[in-house]
Amino acid sequence: MTESAPQNIQKILITNRGEIAVRVIRACRDLGISTVAVYSDADRTSLHVRYADEAINIGPPLARDSYLRMDKLFDAAKKTGADAIHPGYGFLSENADFAQAVADEGLIFIGPPPKAISTMGDKLAARETVKKAGVPLIPGTEPGLRDDDIVAAAKDIGFPLMVKAAAGGGGKGMRIVENEADLPNALAAARREAESAFGDGTVYVEKLVVGARHIEFQILADTHGNTIHLGERECSIQRRHQKLVEEAPSSFVDEDLRRQMGEMAVKAAQSVDYVNAGTIEALVDKDKNFYFLEMNTRLQVEHPVTELVTGIDLVKEQIRIARGRRMGPTGSLVEPNGWAIECRINAEDPYQNFMPSVGTISSIIFPTGPGVRLDSGIYSGYEVTPYYDNLLAKLICWGETRPEAMLRMRRALEEFKIMGIKHNIPFHQNLMSSFSFLAGNFDTSFVEERFSMTTYEDEPSETDLETAAIVATLVAHRKRQLASQVVVKGERDTSNWKWVGRWERMNR
Amino acid sequence: MKYITTINDQQFEIEIRPDGSLWVNGEQRRIDFLPLGEASLYSIIADNLSMEALVEERDGKWEILLRGRLYMGTVLDERAQLLAARRSTAMDDSGEISIRAPMPGLVVAVPVEEGQEVEAGQTVVILESMKMENELKVPRKGVVQRISCEVGQSVEQNKLLVTVI
Repeated sequence: MTESAPQNIQKILITNRGEIAVRVIRACRDLGISTVAVYSDADRTSLHVRYADEAINIGPPLARDSYLRMDKLFDAAKKTGADAIHPGYGFLSENADFAQAVADEGLIFIGPPPKAISTMGDKLAARETVKKAGVPLIPGTEPGLRDDDIVAAAKDIGFPLMVKAAAGGGGKGMRIVENEADLPNALAAARREAESAFGDGTVYVEKLVVGARHIEFQILADTHGNTIHLGERECSIQRRHQKLVEEAPSSFVDEDLRRQMGEMAVKAAQSVDYVNAGTIEALVDKDKNFYFLEMNTRLQVEHPVTELVTGIDLVKEQIRIARGRRMGPTGSLVEPNGWAIECRINAEDPYQNFMPSVGTISSIIFPTGPGVRLDSGIYSGYEVTPYYDNLLAKLICWGETRPEAMLRMRRALEEFKIMGIKHNIPFHQNLMSSFSFLAGNFDTSFVEERFSMTTYEDEPSETDLETAAIVATLVAHRKRQLASQVVVKGERDTSNWKWVGRWERMNR
Repeated sequence: MKYITTINDQQFEIEIRPDGSLWVNGEQRRIDFLPLGEASLYSIIADNLSMEALVEERDGKWEILLRGRLYMGTVLDERAQLLAARRSTAMDDSGEISIRAPMPGLVVAVPVEEGQEVEAGQTVVILESMKMENELKVPRKGVVQRISCEVGQSVEQNKLLVTVI
């Protein structure tokens, strides 16, 4: 790790979209740095375009024609005179070639060095590197084996096991396989999904840790040789390996485990000479044995929960580190301040097997008040398209204790109203009523195996049903009257608005 | 004006009389109901209970978000109710089922063949959208009559994919 001279950053181009682009723009604004948004044809009206100082169109909706096109991104940087690039998460954020190309263009990449990305991005290299540093690993095969070799190796590893995409992330290309008979089909499906999501169908298998909790550590490292961790995030509430709820700290982690895992995380990061913000993902079994899963060499979706319990703005730290300065925090986190929980608000219908939903958001009311933070990419009138992931917003609540954070989340979810598309707020409301969840008694299979939308949801009361019927009828009636007024003019002596007002008032 | 309003399969007869009074199933209700500034937001006070509702009409269906719950229903005046009743008796459960694309996407697999018997809940199409594979299932058992899509095809929302009888 060499100390680099301070770098000047005056204008940052964000090669991403949606809520994370908005998040980065906000940090830039706080620092007085100008911002450039890029957008595909489908994102002309997206929030990040509205928030940025400058915005450049980079082509058709499909990511491979726009957000993944390095040439167009560099053109945009040249055109606007941006001197640094923030990749957000997803898209090109964990692409070592991109990070290298950014440097070759004479720009600053706000993220780790290309070498750290490529080592950690290659599952085999990552495992070998961290193993040398004494980091515990889950048994598995190397990527790139042929299917019959994988099947043979799987017998030694034992079932159940997990099929994973070598280039994977975000649950894509992942399959749990219970027995040998299902393995060939699972391999084929995982290859197909990985091929379409990452353009690379390489897969491998790994032993499934039963009753596992997904616990990850936030890392910060600067160019002055400082590497610290900022405590853990618990991300065990997942469905199809997509995280739905994250919290910091974890109710499963005590001070001792935090110290041990934190040391492991710092060692893993140092083993690749990591710089900037990153995350060490680990699985922890019921006996608190932990295994290194992978390192995400970028900002995580769920970074806000760490920000709320540490008071550190991670995006600002990323920029500070990219400028070659010393990071703000002077040591690893010992004790988190309070508790934070994040619910991912997705465009998907929890009552219809979480089917994604597209369409226009016709009305939206955002939650506010004490302890509530909302990182969102949506607004009333915004159209949700099928081209990108279905994350609409992240609702994050803070409390002095876990119960206070949960109760605030419950309150905020009640305030949060979205109409026009299906969303998973009802899922989160049900989860916040679940005794198992409230008691901290869950693992990564909880949502899929032991959670139901009907357990805690009672039937609507007669009064509420009737009230719903009444308001629908009154609105329908009002619309009808307004419509007929246009045709039959002057039939009544009062204006239509007055008339509508009158029956409303007469019922007081 | 009399309306038949159905919410979550429960029917209400709601009458708004010329004097502006409101009657539900023959009983008068006193409700203070006012539109708020935003397009579909309403404030309701009933028996001192203060509530907010978002009320919107989409494709002839009403959606009401009230006290954290989404209600769906229809509001028909008497004439429309009569017509709807006549139409529904002409149809029964043994008709065709059309499996349509619930969103634009890419057909990645059609794990059934024409003429094949399918059980309720069986997957007939796997559609990739929003970077996820989504399994489209038949609501009841039947026989696949026609497959109107092929693997690798990009489809628009509402495109007919499979017909089951």
